[in-house]
Amino acid sequence: MNLQLTELQRDALQELMNISMGQAANALAQLIDAKISLSIPKISLVAAAEFQQIFSTDQYWFTRQSFLGSVKGEVLTLLARAGIETVGGLLHYALPLDERSEKELLLELANILAGACLRGFSTQLALPTKVSMPTLFQAAMRQADSFRWSSTLLLEVEFQLEGTAFDSRIVICLEPQSVELLLEKLNKLLED
Amino acid sequence: MDLTLLHEQLHNRLPLGICLLNAEYQVLYWNDFFSDRTGQSSATVQGKSLLELFPQQARYLKKKIDSVFVLSNASFSYWEHQPHVFPFSSSRPITGEETLMYQNIEFLPVEWAGESVHTICLVVQDVTELASYFLAEQQLSARLEQEHAELKALNDKLSMAQNQLLQSEKMAAVGQLAAGVAHEINNPIGFISSNLQTLQDYAARLLKLTDFYEKVISKTGNDAYLAMQRDTQQRLQFDFVRQDLPELLSESIDGIERVTDIVKNLKAFSHVDNAHWQYANLVEGLENTLKIAANQLKYKVEIHRDYAADLPEVYCQPNQINQVFLNLLVNAAQAMEHKGHLYLRAWQQGQSVCVEVRDTGPGIAPEHMKRLFEPFFTTKPVGSGTGLGLSLSYSIVQKHQGEIDVHSVPGSGASFTIMLPVAGPASAASAVP
Ligand SMILES: Nc1ncnc2c1ncn2[C@@H]1O[C@H](COP(=O)(O)OP(=O)(O)OP(=O)(O)O)[C@@H](O)[C@H]1O
Ligand SMILES: [Mg+2]
Repeated sequence: MNLQLTELQRDALQELMNISMGQAANALAQLIDAKISLSIPKISLVAAAEFQQIFSTDQYWFTRQSFLGSVKGEVLTLLARAGIETVGGLLHYALPLDERSEKELLLELANILAGACLRGFSTQLALPTKVSMPTLFQAAMRQADSFRWSSTLLLEVEFQLEGTAFDSRIVICLEPQSVELLLEKLNKLLED
Repeated sequence: MDLTLLHEQLHNRLPLGICLLNAEYQVLYWNDFFSDRTGQSSATVQGKSLLELFPQQARYLKKKIDSVFVLSNASFSYWEHQPHVFPFSSSRPITGEETLMYQNIEFLPVEWAGESVHTICLVVQDVTELASYFLAEQQLSARLEQEHAELKALNDKLSMAQNQLLQSEKMAAVGQLAAGVAHEINNPIGFISSNLQTLQDYAARLLKLTDFYEKVISKTGNDAYLAMQRDTQQRLQFDFVRQDLPELLSESIDGIERVTDIVKNLKAFSHVDNAHWQYANLVEGLENTLKIAANQLKYKVEIHRDYAADLPEVYCQPNQINQVFLNLLVNAAQAMEHKGHLYLRAWQQGQSVCVEVRDTGPGIAPEHMKRLFEPFFTTKPVGSGTGLGLSLSYSIVQKHQGEIDVHSVPGSGASFTIMLPVAGPASAASAVP
């Protein structure tokens, strides 16, 4: 399947993402009582090899979470190793973090961030989905040719916790059929 | 078909805990999973605050629930991090080890009022089976790892023991060789030495006789004889011979005495019966060994001795202890590449005798301290040190139930002290009549 994204579609998607991510960031700021800044969402169609690039860093932890509903896919969350203690403090974890509470914090954070992003995305586009529990993901072992798909749509946004070294990247990955559905939805929105 | 009833029945048959809450944390409903375990029916808890029903967990539950209300998103609790949020026991009271139930919990938003959530649902999953499997697996792998480590330690010990055996075999062989050589040399040295003494005596007599003849000739007053005597003496350089002969002889006797000494020390050191336990004077042992090591120390090192008087003899294997001294002395000599001082000290401390070998070499780096006694630990270039000296010494001292201590100030030298119980090790004492 050869997926294509027009300039128009991309802009529209970006705008929608921008609005929903803003809402997510606000909700989050309220929960942890800290300022959060957001990058402009990045939309791209990538092949497996490019996708694999995401994992070529040791500065981040990875979690993954699948979602299921009118569209299907997975959300990957990259959480910076730097500054994680500060975030733990903001979320009222006992410091210093031990191994167990660190994992708990990572999963909670991933759930908050990815959940907020996905919710924004699905309400804006009226594509309801349900998200499963996040789990930690050791991605380094995966080979690009072990993926069962050839290209996927990535919706990517970066959160930065102001005044700390902590940042996080959320990557929503849609499976090919869901991309088609999304593009149909977009086209309808653009026609209106 | 009554769908509502069916739903209700289904809820109660599910192997999941289901609990609905409003924004005030009040229970709207919970299914039999909860009632069976708390003894309180859904009707009795309706309207009560979940946080008050489970006060111990209130803080944690509130945090998770608040996050759902604030973010309008599900939140989760994992058994790995919070195993027993609800104080329920596991479902195997008869066959299983009765433990608390391991739980995964989902906090799901289920009803919305506009943008905000106003009902949430807790879904509790009993994962005890999974968790205990997982934990057992973890324990197993921890045990395997430990066993592996033990095996490895055992292996290391074995190879250490083997090397020490090799080393002590080597030392024994060297000892035997030395004893053999000493024995062979002993005879010729003996007659060379006594012949030299005789020669010295004869030479003295010959010189006296010459003196006498000179006097006789001068008494004759015969100029011709006197001139002849002077010519002959000059031709033979007799004045020089007369002066040099006794010196040559006494030098040779000195030399042969030293050789005799060395041979005696060699014999003392390599006492053929290697594992012999006996009472021995440690200072004597040290001095004997020092003579063996003398050629390593001779020119560059000044030796200072400080031995307490009246030290008791120590019940030990003298040859083995001499090996320890030799290792320490050679190490000290090798450490002091240029000039240095060697301090030898012996004193009594309670029921033990202590011997210290201290040098003014470069000392030992702190990071090497812990590894000194490891077999094969050496900082010397390949081929020059085996790194077995101290490990062997350590095991010998241990066999004597003694102690070996190191002190070092890097830059100003190292000191090794061995401390041996006067009565010897308990086992050796009882084994000997
Ligand atoms: N007096 C000392 N001063 C400084 N370092 C020492 C001294 N004695 C021992 N060491 C250090 O301890 C190491 C181990 O000594 P050990 O006698 O066990 O082996 P070795 O002398 O290197 O080899 P071998 O004794 O087999 O010739 C030495 O390489 C040296 O680094
Ligand atoms: Mg040595």
